[in-house]
Amino acid sequence: MILRLSFVSLQISRRALIVSAVLSLLMLSLLMLSVSMGYYPLSLTRIIAAIGDHASEVEQMIVMDHRLPRILSAVGAGAAFGLAGAMFQTMLRNPLASPDVIGFNAGAAFGALAAIVMTGANILPGALIGGLLTAAAVTALAWHNGLHPYRLILVGIGASLTLVAGADLLMSRLDSMTASEMAKWLIGTLNSRDWGDVRLIWGGLALMLPLCLWLQFPLSRLAMDDDISTSLGLALSPLRLTITTTGVALVALAVSVAGPLPFVAFVSGPIARRIVGGGKPALLASAMIGALVTLLADTLARSVPIVQLPAGVFTALIGAPVLMWLLLVQFRKGTL
Amino acid sequence: MSQTARLSARDLAVSFPGMQVLKGLTLEIPDTKMTVIIGPNACGKSTLLRSLARLQTIGAGTVVLDGKAIHKENSRSVARRLAILPQMPTAPEGLLVRDLVTRGRTPHQSALRQWSKKDAAAVSQALELTGMTDNAHRPLETLSGGQRQRAWLAMALAQQTDILLLDEPTTYLDLPHQIELLNLVQRLNRDTGRTVAMVLHDINLAARFADHIVALKDGQVHLQGPPDQVITESTMQGVFGLACTVISDPVHANPHVIPA
Repeated sequence: MILRLSFVSLQISRRALIVSAVLSLLMLSLLMLSVSMGYYPLSLTRIIAAIGDHASEVEQMIVMDHRLPRILSAVGAGAAFGLAGAMFQTMLRNPLASPDVIGFNAGAAFGALAAIVMTGANILPGALIGGLLTAAAVTALAWHNGLHPYRLILVGIGASLTLVAGADLLMSRLDSMTASEMAKWLIGTLNSRDWGDVRLIWGGLALMLPLCLWLQFPLSRLAMDDDISTSLGLALSPLRLTITTTGVALVALAVSVAGPLPFVAFVSGPIARRIVGGGKPALLASAMIGALVTLLADTLARSVPIVQLPAGVFTALIGAPVLMWLLLVQFRKGTL
Repeated sequence: MSQTARLSARDLAVSFPGMQVLKGLTLEIPDTKMTVIIGPNACGKSTLLRSLARLQTIGAGTVVLDGKAIHKENSRSVARRLAILPQMPTAPEGLLVRDLVTRGRTPHQSALRQWSKKDAAAVSQALELTGMTDNAHRPLETLSGGQRQRAWLAMALAQQTDILLLDEPTTYLDLPHQIELLNLVQRLNRDTGRTVAMVLHDINLAARFADHIVALKDGQVHLQGPPDQVITESTMQGVFGLACTVISDPVHANPHVIPA
């Protein structure tokens, strides 16, 4: 299907449109369910009343100060993770090469933590610098006559473990209250997010989305091999640099809001590509799956009474089996 | 040979760790002709073709396309004039033949202008020429080897370049499919005047389909010219170390190698 607007003509597959519509519906249902659920359950009419400023003070506070910012932060962070995951997986042509597996999440988290320890603030710049430095270091270490995905993944896993240990070390410099909070954040949590977080993640997404949509065109070519991409006239190095920087920026944004939520970036791409089909990068669908998975995990985390479990526990419960399954499939196909 | 060939290599040197593959090779690819590069394994055939298409980083020398060094030129601008089909290209699972062929239009498109009438015409023409129209909606991985190769060729054709390079396009095809593919390439060359240069392993197929043969040995051009001048008993001995008798093919009249 071709979409035309004056000089612009875009190729859009009908299936991708249908998938987006279905995912949007799912998203909306989960969103409403999540806002209504909790220690103080609220009906849909009460929620609407609270948003419209016609509810009691308590209801208003629950919806506007607690649930809504937390839920919108989850959706935004999940979308950013899903988008970044699909971009890296497509560019590196391997579902294992997602930023949470190859250490970029850990790098961004380490950077954010270092910024907090050193300056008491500046989470986003810290995450951005940490993520970019990690991406550069992992690429450089894995480079040997080109970038073999297998080597990149192993080096990335190593970097990830090192950075997690480094983060633990940094935490010893914090007082015990902050440290226990940061420990949860390092697992990935959306506890007590506020509207500032919502503005940060959605503002960031609004800035990055046009770039991501533009990158979808070269990314779908890059998904073939390097020779074909060059033959078709793509300039590989600048393109890879742009994609990596964009992906890391998305990861840094998401980590700033939700911590290094494990496996969201990792599971979103493969699921999205499977439902969209046709060997497409499925960036938009990945963003939506990422948002769904994150919101689902956080809703589950909220539904456990008394203990405040971090959402990362549940994304790991969803993602780790997928990782094992993918490893097994690749191992059997001999592509690992 | 004319001095004005659009694609040429001068003093081309390429090395891989531990060995020099091309050793100061100079070559012109004659315009509008079918050129076939032959030579023993590891003589640098593929490396030469890949260097001519700027897929290979080169150590010294230059590859010139339309008077400019191809390795320094804008890749997109090159891709409108020269297409290469590398050996064993890969595509993501689930990619449909039509989408693959459409990707051949990439150098003529942009992220904002992804489809035009010209694109549509080029894609259906490429599908038509390769006989893939009926398979356009099938995923690539469900095709047979021969069909798959034709689908990739269709992608390169949709690029609508004057120069087409093919790296061992007949690998993994059985003889009927090899002949079918080479007939198709020859027809393209004759009908549209496209310059074709390809690497082939089979000397007899090279002799039958080439206008111009380049015999490589040890990273240098050993001999080049029309088939009946290159495919001789002494060249076969010199290039391949092959003792053979060369006869004239009784059907097509080109030289035919019969190994001793």
